[in-house]
Amino acid sequence: MSDDVLSVIEGYDQALLDKAKLAAKGTDFTERKGEVAAIIGHLHPKRLSLRVIKVIEETVSTKTLRLEAVGGYLPPFQAGQYINLFVNIEGVNTSRPYAISSSPFERNYYDVTIRRVIEGFVSNYLLDQVHAGMCLQSTGPMGTFYYNPIFHGDDLIFLAGGSGIAPAMSIILDIIHQKRPVRFHLIYGSRNMDDIIFHRELKQLEAENDFLTVTRVISEPSMNYSGKKGFVSTELISELVGSLDDKMFYLCGPSNMYDFCLVELKNSGVPSRKIRVEMNGAPKLPEQLEGWPVGVLSKTIINVTVRGKGRFSAKVGEPLINSLERNGYFVENACRTGECSLCRIKVLSGNVFNAPQARIRFSDRQFGWCHACSAYPVEDIEILI
Amino acid sequence: MKDFDAIVIGAGNGGLTAAATLQRGGLKTLLLERHNIPGGCATSFVRGPYEFEVALHQLSGMGTPDKPFILRKLFADLGIMDKVDFVEEPELYRMIIPGIIDITLPASVVGVARTLKQYFPKESRAIDDFLELCKFVTLESIMVLPRARKAVDKEMLRHQGKNFAKYGLKPAQQVFDEFFDDEMIKAVLGAYWGYLGLPLRELSFADMGALFYAYAEFKPYHVIGGSQALSNALLDSFLEAGGEMRFNCAVDKILTESSAVRAVRTEQGDEITCHTIVSNASSLHTYNELLDVSNRVELVREDFKSRRLGVSAFVIYLGLDCTPEQLGVTAATNFIVLTPDDEAVFRRAETLDEPLGCGFTCYNVDDPSFAPEGKSIASLICIQYGDVWKNVAPDDYVNTKYAFAEKLLDLAETVFPNIRSYIEEVEIATPLTMMRYLNTPGGAIYGFDQNRLDSSLFRERYKEIDGLYLAGAWSGMGGFQPTYQAGVSVANSIIRTQIYRDKANV
Ligand SMILES: Cc1cc2nc3c(=O)[nH]c(=O)nc-3n(C[C@H](O)[C@H](O)[C@H](O)COP(=O)(O)OP(=O)(O)OC[C@H]3O[C@@H](n4cnc5c(N)ncnc54)[C@H](O)[C@@H]3O)c2cc1C
Ligand code: FES
Repeated sequence: MSDDVLSVIEGYDQALLDKAKLAAKGTDFTERKGEVAAIIGHLHPKRLSLRVIKVIEETVSTKTLRLEAVGGYLPPFQAGQYINLFVNIEGVNTSRPYAISSSPFERNYYDVTIRRVIEGFVSNYLLDQVHAGMCLQSTGPMGTFYYNPIFHGDDLIFLAGGSGIAPAMSIILDIIHQKRPVRFHLIYGSRNMDDIIFHRELKQLEAENDFLTVTRVISEPSMNYSGKKGFVSTELISELVGSLDDKMFYLCGPSNMYDFCLVELKNSGVPSRKIRVEMNGAPKLPEQLEGWPVGVLSKTIINVTVRGKGRFSAKVGEPLINSLERNGYFVENACRTGECSLCRIKVLSGNVFNAPQARIRFSDRQFGWCHACSAYPVEDIEILI
Repeated sequence: MKDFDAIVIGAGNGGLTAAATLQRGGLKTLLLERHNIPGGCATSFVRGPYEFEVALHQLSGMGTPDKPFILRKLFADLGIMDKVDFVEEPELYRMIIPGIIDITLPASVVGVARTLKQYFPKESRAIDDFLELCKFVTLESIMVLPRARKAVDKEMLRHQGKNFAKYGLKPAQQVFDEFFDDEMIKAVLGAYWGYLGLPLRELSFADMGALFYAYAEFKPYHVIGGSQALSNALLDSFLEAGGEMRFNCAVDKILTESSAVRAVRTEQGDEITCHTIVSNASSLHTYNELLDVSNRVELVREDFKSRRLGVSAFVIYLGLDCTPEQLGVTAATNFIVLTPDDEAVFRRAETLDEPLGCGFTCYNVDDPSFAPEGKSIASLICIQYGDVWKNVAPDDYVNTKYAFAEKLLDLAETVFPNIRSYIEEVEIATPLTMMRYLNTPGGAIYGFDQNRLDSSLFRERYKEIDGLYLAGAWSGMGGFQPTYQAGVSVANSIIRTQIYRDKANV
């Protein structure tokens, strides 16, 4: 291409020659076809097809599902991350996130360790209906609850409750494999002695590894129990680990455990940069949260209109994503606690209550976007999905 | 009857302004985006109490309310000026070569001249002449060049555009050498080269001079809520005008009939018909992967051969439990380099070795509302080519990423010690992260390498497929201002042809 006018510009003709030289040595990039998809597919696939290869009974209330990839390839993950398992229960398509409890260096399978939730919709299905040989879909590994060598330091305290042991287990195995120069104290709260997940494994790991200390705390001990009991308070933590300064705290467990431990740690002067929290689902009792509109009852029924698609009724106190799913609408999602923003939808009219834990962008709020997994429709609403 | 007049693939800057302009111009438009959020690069994410700006370091092209420039008008035309708040930055940047120089340039041409003369009194004359030249080359490239080309008028360009004609295509380095003796002043004035992704030797003076002049004359800006606020506002403008948007909906194929677009096929398998397609995805993805007849666009493929894949970036997003003052940060934009030699700094972009230069942008220096009280957000960035990461095995990826992040932090801590001790949240993005979110080969963030041959002076719009247009960093300059403009200009030319077509059909 030569443009007569442009030849007035000094160096124009030379540049044309340079361009021809580049072209002679260049490529039309067809050799890169599929490269982006392949690279991303190996690191962050959107979906995984998984097959259950083993079901391991951990305790009376807990099982581990061992999952391998149907296609043979599992992406790497960071110890502490989760996958979101998609299921179809009684005709409803839904999903729940589960932390991977196996080592990131176990590349043939992922373990997810599932504890029964009383009246839980998905946990009971996974525990009672799923058996070896079944196939499940999931997201790729996700989440930000993991050991970060950049700033987590070398003195780590992990406060786990119930199934919150799952990511802790993976983190411990990762520390062993990578020979990370850290000390790790696991303080693990369980209801009773029979309910301690990975009891035997933890004992063995503790015996084999100097960096690891495990303290079990039982909330409903039997008569002859002599170990630590009650809740995990800062008094107990201080008694076990000494000064709370310069330590990184990880919290993973049922929400009543956080509420308690988080306040305890903050009151003892631990700055928020020293506390890592893995949330665990949307709030069950939103009307007790700060900012809940006065006078709105969580059992009230309202109408949800999905623009261009339909309309259904829903309960105020239930996260929007649940009623959407029950009514046959799919919204992409992963964390179901308000963090990942994948379930972002737009509210066109009416109000929703956003749980304080939802990490909503400043401008999303401004333009009416919410996270369906942690938003409660407090009146009739119209949404865009 | 087609389903839509126009379909826009990708909701990055170019896609958003194209879609909004088309819909507001009366074309029934569908906007499709692979992700669940608009913006492409122009986005944000939240960790703990922090919201991180992904890409926008300094918005150019706004101008002040009294002296508005192109982008302010563009946003006003799209009806978003009252929906977004902007923060003017009083400084261009602070440039630090530890132990050698530490200088902050104010955001005004006069201020730049004054400051530079204090540091480099011997270069006083050259400083004035150089800034004059930047101004004239910029103005001539906007006012004279397009008119002269349209009128096919050599004399116009020769006389009214004499500065551009003499200097526009020269390598920036050559012009710097012509004006200045002191290597240090060249390094200071050339600090923005990272925003274009190539060292001064490979950039045209027209690009480099205009970039510097535009920031100095029309001020750099931050956006409250980050560039995500702009993306959300643009989407709103599109939706309000009646446009239809689908997220989580990647286009898999562009379907044609007799070399004209007919429809797109989405990842869900839907076929949606249309007259016109604007692709905001990379030109390589569009023509080599999406187009059903990719082997029949010889001119496009020929054009690709004289292009080179552009840079990506390695970024550490920092949520810091301290104020900018506590950290010693005095200007929002900081360039830290260990040597004035931009070539040496650039060459590290092809490796995972210790970086020799980086940018450190702290958004709440000029407006504390960018982070909760007492806290700060910052991004620490260096350019890097995606191919560096190609041979890192997936299993080694995370550790490689941390190892490089440590090197980049070491560099930043030579000026701002103790960054690490204030970290409350951190997220690290590599070129592969960019690749994941932008779907660009090599994770390129500005499109192709922006050497002087990448300029529109040497490139024509691809026309082999009737009704297929590109808008974004791959069909013009990369960066915010150029891509916003590209979308509007492509849309306007489509609207014009549509009007002719309608008239012809009457
Ligand atoms: C870390 C970083 C720092 C930067 N700093 C600056 C700066 O300070 N100043 C500046 O001016 N510029 C900067 N840039 C560059 C600037 O952000 C980009 O050049 C510009 O935003 C590109 O816009 P675009 O319109 O080309 O679209 P992109 O942002 O590339 O968006 C393309 C969109 O298309 C979508 N898409 C792709 N394929 C498909 C498909 N098949 N179907 C559907 N959708 C698809 C993608 O998901 C994406 O949303 C930076 C970029 C990055 C990443
Ligand atoms: S699913 Fe993650 S925010 Fe809703």
